Amino acid sequence: MKRLFESQRLGELAPLPRALVYGALLAWTFVVFFPLYWVLVTSFKEPLQVADGPVFLPFVDFQPSLHAWKYILVETGRDTLRPYLNSMLIASLSTLLAVAIGSMAAYALTRIVYRPSVAAVLLFIASVAAVVALVLSAGLSLGWALPLGAMLFVLGLRPLQRRITARLGNDDILFWMISQRILPPVVSAIPIYVMFQQVHLLDTQFALIVTYMTANLPIVVWLMVDFFDGIPRELEESAALDGASRFRILFDLMLPLARPGLVATTLLVLILSWNEYLLALFLSTANAQTMPLLVAAQNATRGPQWWTMSVLILLMIVPVVVMTLFLQKFIARGLLTGAVKG
Amino acid sequence: MNQRSISLWAALACTAALGLSGAQAQTKAYAGVTLNVMTFTGPQIAEPLQRRGKEFEAATGAKVNVITVPYSDLYQKLLTDWSTGTNSIDAAILAPQWMPDYVGFLEDLSPRVKADSKLREDDVAPFFREFSQKYGGKTYTVTLDGDFHIAYYRTDVLAKLGRKPPQTWDEYLDIAKAAHGKDFGDGKPIVGSCIAKKRSAQSFWMITSVAGAFLQAKGTSEGAFFDPATMKPLVNNDAFARALEIYKETGKYGPPNEINMDVGDTRTLFVGGGCALTVDWGDIGPLAVDPKASKVVDKVGALMLPGSTRVLDRASGKLVACDATRCPHAVNGVNRAPFAAFGGWSGAINAKAKPQAKDAAYALFSYMSQPEQSNADVTVGATGFNPYRQSQFKDMGPWKKAGMSDKAAKDYLGAIQDSLNSPNMVLDLRIPFNQRYQQVALDTAMARFLAGELDVKGTMKNIEDTWNELNDELGKAKQQAAYKASIGAR
Amino acid sequence: MSGLGPQGAPPPGPARPAPGEWLGNWLDRQAGTVFIAPAVTVVLLFSIFPLLASAWLSLTRFSLQAGGYELSFVGALNYRKLIAGSQQFHLLGTAGEMAVATWLALAAAHALLAWALLRSLRRRQAYAQAAPRAPQGAAAVLTLACVIVAALLSPLGPFAAAAQSARDALDLPWFAWLLFAFAGFVVAALIARRLGAPARVAGLVGRQLAGSVWLLVALVAAGTAGGQQGSLLTTLFYVAGGVALQFALGLGLALLCAQPIRGRNLFRLSFFLPLMVTPVGIAYMFRMLADMGVGPFAPVARLLGLGAVTWAQNAWSARWVVLIGDTWQWVPFIFIVLLAAIEGQPRDQLEAAQLDGAPSWRIFRDITWPAIAPTAAAVVLIRLIEAFKIVDLPNVLTNGGPGIATESMTLHAFIDWRSLNLGGSAAVAYLLLLVSTLVAVSFFHFVVRPARGEPAA
Repeated sequence: MKRLFESQRLGELAPLPRALVYGALLAWTFVVFFPLYWVLVTSFKEPLQVADGPVFLPFVDFQPSLHAWKYILVETGRDTLRPYLNSMLIASLSTLLAVAIGSMAAYALTRIVYRPSVAAVLLFIASVAAVVALVLSAGLSLGWALPLGAMLFVLGLRPLQRRITARLGNDDILFWMISQRILPPVVSAIPIYVMFQQVHLLDTQFALIVTYMTANLPIVVWLMVDFFDGIPRELEESAALDGASRFRILFDLMLPLARPGLVATTLLVLILSWNEYLLALFLSTANAQTMPLLVAAQNATRGPQWWTMSVLILLMIVPVVVMTLFLQKFIARGLLTGAVKG
Repeated sequence: MNQRSISLWAALACTAALGLSGAQAQTKAYAGVTLNVMTFTGPQIAEPLQRRGKEFEAATGAKVNVITVPYSDLYQKLLTDWSTGTNSIDAAILAPQWMPDYVGFLEDLSPRVKADSKLREDDVAPFFREFSQKYGGKTYTVTLDGDFHIAYYRTDVLAKLGRKPPQTWDEYLDIAKAAHGKDFGDGKPIVGSCIAKKRSAQSFWMITSVAGAFLQAKGTSEGAFFDPATMKPLVNNDAFARALEIYKETGKYGPPNEINMDVGDTRTLFVGGGCALTVDWGDIGPLAVDPKASKVVDKVGALMLPGSTRVLDRASGKLVACDATRCPHAVNGVNRAPFAAFGGWSGAINAKAKPQAKDAAYALFSYMSQPEQSNADVTVGATGFNPYRQSQFKDMGPWKKAGMSDKAAKDYLGAIQDSLNSPNMVLDLRIPFNQRYQQVALDTAMARFLAGELDVKGTMKNIEDTWNELNDELGKAKQQAAYKASIGAR
Repeated sequence: MSGLGPQGAPPPGPARPAPGEWLGNWLDRQAGTVFIAPAVTVVLLFSIFPLLASAWLSLTRFSLQAGGYELSFVGALNYRKLIAGSQQFHLLGTAGEMAVATWLALAAAHALLAWALLRSLRRRQAYAQAAPRAPQGAAAVLTLACVIVAALLSPLGPFAAAAQSARDALDLPWFAWLLFAFAGFVVAALIARRLGAPARVAGLVGRQLAGSVWLLVALVAAGTAGGQQGSLLTTLFYVAGGVALQFALGLGLALLCAQPIRGRNLFRLSFFLPLMVTPVGIAYMFRMLADMGVGPFAPVARLLGLGAVTWAQNAWSARWVVLIGDTWQWVPFIFIVLLAAIEGQPRDQLEAAQLDGAPSWRIFRDITWPAIAPTAAAVVLIRLIEAFKIVDLPNVLTNGGPGIATESMTLHAFIDWRSLNLGGSAAVAYLLLLVSTLVAVSFFHFVVRPARGEPAA
């Protein structure tokens, strides 16, 4: 009996705990896979088989049919390929940009002390509000309103800074960044639409790339701040003593050290961009249509076309799985960063 | 031949080819025109649009770009595109019920329709021609689809029970009760009645389908949502109370999950053999004969929405028995009020599109609506187009080709024809912001009623209060004028 | 670069740097700005306009005109309708009878506030190392201010009727009451400082703001406990219940996966799968699964005799189904981040403890948890903020039904927006912004910063 609770070797689990751990993990694996299995099976079903009641095993419970796959890949193949390529392009570019810009900012926020003045922030908000008010209520054109707002900011900065001396810190910047995620997209969608409409960039991949990059930047910053925090300063200090510039430290030293965090963050942001629905709905019409729109569109007036929807869901998972498999060796290798901490 | 003469010949050949195609293009009416037409993702509506679009392109040279968006977002996408001045969409297939919100952006088609003899406007049923396509007396859309609610029943179930198709809602409930839970031959018990009750789905149309015959008896111009003379909502009276009770009672004989079923679910269930009765748009007819989707091939009958022998006396708010003066359009003493829910998908054109695009778009919609094309499309369930022309009822050929038996076709078409020809059809609410009245206020109240949060009195008071508040907020006189204009009331 | 030259020789004089080098040096000095400028600029550009435009929208009514649209200013009408008018049932709920248990819970909520204020002042005191005057008096003053303001302003709940008559007696416009509340906070903050509270006035006012909103929500929750909850309480249920469940599962799975077992990578990859499916797809997938008529669990339901009962008919069972779907979707997010943190903890301490034969729970409590606390707090904060925006699952599963039971505030805004009630939609979104900002700020100050070893403001 005792042997069940004792581990044979150091670093290994005793048999009973090992069984429990495996049991729990396998149970959750089932929880994860069963819905996806159901989606897979549904993609091979005819409408009648879906409506009749649950059938679980192809060839045993029902005859699988390829009609949904044919419809998506062959009959409307062109209409499927375009969103697919769009999604891949937009997701990868926006992720790359977000991670690049965000990591820089995250590194800066952990190593450099910022003290923006409250006066400057308040005045900035006031200037932008003035510009918006001038454009919306007084009907001034942007060409007039922008310089006026800029003037307000420049002229008012010194006097206001003398009155209000309070300063914010790094944590406030951090919090401001993450607070950008709070406003529900349904409300910011229309102003963003109007912004892109004014510069004639609607229905372009560029608009979506820029929007996604901006939307995901706060998450990159937040996660990378944590990972950078975990890297001890001594390494940088010795590198600085050797005469490396800040840029070299960041690119040649810090980023490789933070690789597990970097990869995890890249994956998460990639997924968020790949799966985003509402802003894509607004900013795209025909050219820049992305996959989530196609999935949602399967809910037609006749009711959800479960079979074609399942096909699309599965098609959407494939590139992400490939990407994860590709990157996972970095996660696995780099996560043993005991060398850094220890 | 040497290098130079080869290139010379090549150049000549190219020029000749270009010239030829140019000459060919010259003969095509809309060569070089690109048309962006938006609708929701199909196959309904979008598939025939794409198919006819290709034919149109072959005939006229105009390139038809079909852009589809998810169904629930079509309204917003179009409106955003047109109201913000983006104007990337030239034309759209949309619902006429959206007319009050869209009318400022749509091209007035009256002169074109008048001059278009190939369109055969006289063939289009009067309801669609005079009410559905028009707003404020002008035509803004080209009808492509006739949409209204009908009641469907299982012929085998009714035969086994020895009942006739229900002419009143009381008979409907009777049959539902008798059929509920019994097995009629396929080894599984069926439910009595399936009617969509899900929130934010179709329940706000379904309640009007039930209440219409209680509220309106003197023709479309009497109105079924407001009293046109006073703009008082017709929702807090005995008639609406009775309708609410009936609607809730159908749930007693329905599937356990009915409160979370929208019309897609009920339709699938009915066609899969699970219900005895249902209320739906015209899609069930062709769907029922599709062996890939239906288990009740040739077992489905259709009829005009059940009616009522009692109607509302607007002065007292009570229900009174029908007689010749009160119910001039009654059939066998029963007042029937078929409900043209939603209106039927129609083609509309952006007023700010380029003139050539507008011409091409009109030509496309006219082509799709002409009997030669339309009569074939309405027989195919997958197109999503339902009959709306008189000629579509005369020729049984295409229907038989689609798989309907003689009896089924006659039944189905008869139900549609009766509804179309009824002078007492209920026009869907068409005042500005109708979505807030129906899809928000009415729908939320119905959801709370069905969930048991509100009782009948509470529901009626809630709807009346919210509608009155909306009237006050949006300008009662304006809304009243719009309502009167939409139903042709004086 | 300028070090000692070869032994004995004087160091070379400072050479004039080449132009490229000079640029490099200048950039290096500006590194602080250069690193952070792109991120800040981009976020500013995209956030300010939507924020301000939406604020403006919430004060207007949108109507379509021929050829365009019109925004007419209506002041606080949209907000008034939501909080105290015809839409109150939608946002806050409908009042019901208050049972004894509800009264007890309400009292507990008040006690919790007092305790939280006390604790925050004490922690602040420890950091400030100020003369240790007992902060109980200050905490009591702050709590009292919160209670009074909440009771006076409560739109729904046990004190709502009394508060309404009290306010009617004075017949002041609505913003006057808000100003009074703010003034009351400032006065209470000054008194608290007199009594030795070791924080700035702004910090004390902020605490009171959060505290009174907490009490307002508690009052609304108590009031609607016997009736129907509105979208605000439903959203809070999704957030609190969902994030707690997801954190528990995510942490558990991460700990399990960090054990020395075979196939670790396989498990890791599989657990990551739900995050890869698009949320709209997940919503439809769960709709299929949750269908007890034709879904895969129908036989199970029939077996358990639940055939006639359906989860969609009952408000709370519907909410739980949405919560389960949300949990399935988001556990991987927390799992992957916590796993990275757990595997990054200092190895030497871990190995030493294992060699000593310490039991696993001791190791977890004393070594692992402190090491991952900052990351855990950060990821929970992100998840909290995202959870407030839940919309796809309730929309697809039940469209917000039965009644309005599963409607989250974002779905509420979405439904309004779909029917062109842009002003109402923006008002709901801004109220959501207010609540989630308060929750996020409170969580940030009272959980994230202490986890990092910094004091609260």
